[in-house]
Amino acid sequence: MDASVPTRRKTKSPQQAFLAKTFHWVNIVALVLMISSGLQIYNANPVFGGRGGWHFPDLVLLGGWLAGGRDWHFAIMWVYSLNLFWYGIYVFVTRRWQHRFASSSDLKAVKASQNIKRKNYAWHRLVYTAIVPILLLAIASGLAMYKPAQLHWLSGLFGNWQTLRTVHFITVPIVVGFTFVHSVMALRAGTIRLVKSMFF
Amino acid sequence: MSLILPQRSLSRRQLLQWSGLSGAGLLLGGCQSRFLPDKITQGSRFLTDKVGQISEPLNQKIEALMLSQQPVPEFAASEIEPDKLLINTFDTTPQIDPAQFRLTVNGEVNKPIQLSLTELQNLPLTSMVIRHVCVEGWAAIIQWGGVRLRDLIQLAQPKPGVRYVFFQSADGYYESWDIASCLHPQTLMAYQKNGQPLAIDNGAPLRLAAPIKLGYKQSKWVTGITLLSALPAQTGYWEDQGYEWFAGL
Repeated sequence: MDASVPTRRKTKSPQQAFLAKTFHWVNIVALVLMISSGLQIYNANPVFGGRGGWHFPDLVLLGGWLAGGRDWHFAIMWVYSLNLFWYGIYVFVTRRWQHRFASSSDLKAVKASQNIKRKNYAWHRLVYTAIVPILLLAIASGLAMYKPAQLHWLSGLFGNWQTLRTVHFITVPIVVGFTFVHSVMALRAGTIRLVKSMFF
Repeated sequence: MSLILPQRSLSRRQLLQWSGLSGAGLLLGGCQSRFLPDKITQGSRFLTDKVGQISEPLNQKIEALMLSQQPVPEFAASEIEPDKLLINTFDTTPQIDPAQFRLTVNGEVNKPIQLSLTELQNLPLTSMVIRHVCVEGWAAIIQWGGVRLRDLIQLAQPKPGVRYVFFQSADGYYESWDIASCLHPQTLMAYQKNGQPLAIDNGAPLRLAAPIKLGYKQSKWVTGITLLSALPAQTGYWEDQGYEWFAGL
């Protein structure tokens, strides 16, 4: 090798598994459709304030009217939940949960690490791991409202109807907030190259 | 007015925002011309209807499979929410003289019957405290008292091929149900609400009440029950506007 040419270690671009990228894409599209059709349903009788309550503006709604919103919501629910389901199996079978999700070492790093890179990375992993139970809660609370008679045991877990509606609705601001935080943290943990690797 | 009606008139600006920015925009942006707002409305309605047409048969099949003939657990009388039941009516509130009222049960039966309110009230009374769930999203815990629909169906001696039941109301409202839901032990023709005689706004003298269907399936002011072997072309007032037919809970 010519010694006059400065040797630069070629930095390897991060790579993501094809199935992880597939899950991520489908999940994003399904969530956009679920949230916009869900807000259409919300507007028929706002969780906060009933008919006199504040309504979401048309530009974030999907379906045109209540029945249309329900059509979308109860069609895309299959895409959303089956996507989570196969991804859960994939994560379990390939043991991705052991090395791709937050662990006790990330908790330790957040508390004690002096290495800012390690700390950012730990926070990033903690945040995207924490959204998983929220995604599952959206399904559980949704099912409890969709079939409160046949799944009365599930609806019963949420206490009264208003609590159930509130829990289901609250997953929306959590997911929207998560999207921002998750994007910023991914940028901090691995720059735009990490973000790109998750999409393309 | 009551259940949310389809939005037919959107301004051009709203439509452009809607098609460009909303979740629908993701899908519509590619396949609709932005210079033809009418086409966009038609297009989005068309797409939404398609989504419903594809998903509803599957969803309704699963709803029918989930339907159990076991009674849904009831609530305590102390949990009744008298103020939460909103009044939804598609048109007018009919005035019916209880003395003149007759309920007809006919169609594919061996013995069509006509019952007065007194005759109905002499049949065994079933009382239940259940949750009434409206498609709009609100719910109310209510006590209903009345006659089991399956008792009335039995009185009329249905023929073997009966699969659906059509309900005609005095205000022109109409509904149709699957037979399994009609035979459920908590599907009542109710004349009592929260321990009182049914109020005219709630459907007096006789209405459908059940914990297993959304509110719009539970016709008020029912005057005719027709047993059928096939679904009629018009399956229900709201269904004909685009709402789901099975609407099971």
